[in-house]
Amino acid sequence: MVAAALEARDVSKTFGQIAALRGLSLTIEPGRIYGLLGPNGSGKTTFIRCVAGLVKPDDGSLRVLGASPREAIATGRIGYMTQSAALYPELSVEENLSFFAALEGVASAKARIEAALRTVDLLERRGSVVATLSGGMRQRVSLAAALLHEPRLLLLDEPTVGVDPSLRREFWDHFRELASRGVTILVSSHVMDEAARCDRLGLIREGRLIAEGTATELTTRAGTDDLESAFLSLSAAEA
Amino acid sequence: MSPLRVGAVARRVASQFRRDHRTLGLLFGAPILIMTLVGALWGSTAAQTYRLIVASDQGPAAPLVEALRKVDVLEVSTAPLAEALDSLRAGGADAALSTRVGFATTELVVTLEGSDPFRRGATLQAIQGGIIKAANGAPLPAGALPTLQVEYLYGGEDFSLLDHLAPLLIGFFAFFLTFLLSAVSFLRERTSGTLERLLATPLRRAELVVGYLMGFGLFALVQAAVIVAFTILVLRVRYEGNVATIFLIEAMLVIVAVSMGLFVSAFARTELQAIQFIPVVILPQAFLSGLLQPVDQLPEVLRPFSVVMPLTYAMEALRDVMIKGFALSHEIVVRDLLVLTLFAVVTIAGAILSIRREVA
Repeated sequence: MVAAALEARDVSKTFGQIAALRGLSLTIEPGRIYGLLGPNGSGKTTFIRCVAGLVKPDDGSLRVLGASPREAIATGRIGYMTQSAALYPELSVEENLSFFAALEGVASAKARIEAALRTVDLLERRGSVVATLSGGMRQRVSLAAALLHEPRLLLLDEPTVGVDPSLRREFWDHFRELASRGVTILVSSHVMDEAARCDRLGLIREGRLIAEGTATELTTRAGTDDLESAFLSLSAAEA
Repeated sequence: MSPLRVGAVARRVASQFRRDHRTLGLLFGAPILIMTLVGALWGSTAAQTYRLIVASDQGPAAPLVEALRKVDVLEVSTAPLAEALDSLRAGGADAALSTRVGFATTELVVTLEGSDPFRRGATLQAIQGGIIKAANGAPLPAGALPTLQVEYLYGGEDFSLLDHLAPLLIGFFAFFLTFLLSAVSFLRERTSGTLERLLATPLRRAELVVGYLMGFGLFALVQAAVIVAFTILVLRVRYEGNVATIFLIEAMLVIVAVSMGLFVSAFARTELQAIQFIPVVILPQAFLSGLLQPVDQLPEVLRPFSVVMPLTYAMEALRDVMIKGFALSHEIVVRDLLVLTLFAVVTIAGAILSIRREVA
């Protein structure tokens, strides 16, 4: 049996009075695209931040590629794309990527930066200062930065917010191509048409996983035609 | 102009203020803090006193010493001349009084410490007052006064206020500007999401802090070089000590300033809030570190505060090197640098721990 890329058991996290995660458990097989689906404030970002080693769960266990989240981060096995592009606006695209490549200890950084920029179709803007780029372009640079060190697990927190439909399709084609090369992807979204592209979906609400399965399994279980209705129906059943 | 719209804007501004408790607290708390300091520093009616050591081996006649003891603002003690001069060098006295026997006359010699023009003038005036009283208990015409030979341990007659303040201002500006820039810049790292992104890479917190120290330190030292060069070459400020020693002190000070900036940025949520640390971190140091008044002349109640301020030690070292020409190996300079190193270690540790707050 292949070891899971990500294994979360009863993960809980409370911020003051707010319980962000309440005993969340899920497993992701290597090379799969797992979609974390839920409304704003449901705990998607908190869970991703736990996996990225940025938030320590109060309770439960979390194994990432057979290690603790911090160990996985320290060895450069995780790529993380935050919800809003985390870049230095005064620096050029290439300077931003060179910086992240240096932090991740990327060998032959120049070639990797070129490849990552080609992937996100921004090679011709490599010299542009980030402050002059559109929101969508910044998202693309942010994705390139997450891909530089060829991580085994890619964490994407709402990666297509502010990205136009054709580029969104390109993003997803690229995610699929990465998965075919064995990269595991955990992607959060509240856009239902994106969810259908995932291998497996977890519906999250108020910090709990309320349903899990493929898109077809979820719509069948809810007895609905589309994922949005399925989500609403399963949420109502849980409430 | 619509009163409705004006009212809406005013209400919105008031609501924002009401919700920002820190701004509100500082708006009222900072002036009270500053005015308390001003009150403690300058509100006392007690007169300044000046310390005079009369040479016991080569001293003037007893009646003159007695007359000097009666001058309210003078604290008179006696010691052999060599010891008196040592005490003057160590900052333990403002002036030494002795006699020098010539061929025909015996001269009275006042040796002034001299590094503070205000204090120098007031000390000399007090001693002259005592001499006048000793003459016959009543003021004499100026021409009839015994002649005083005035000598200076540091500085001299033409030693200006600028000469006195320049070393202190060099330290203060380097500290102030570096602290503010690093606090605001690291706050941007925290608020723009890049810090979170950095912490999701193999980069360690200590590496981040040391990287910041090096990046900012480089610019801060260039800034210090420009200030020092301008002060010496353009303003023509007198300057005794070694340039390399001045830079070493400045380097330690800016390291402390950068790490303090990184540390306090953890307690601000906006750039406005970061700027509000000026009255809390910078102004008390301006009042209590020796910039406005020598530390040993601060009211008793304020002295413990100056002990825990890095600027106190940087300013003492800068003044001792630039005005008094102390070498790097001088015990006061060594002590000050060690204390600054300790401040640097503590503030760097604080900065590293403050980043840990992000991932609690």
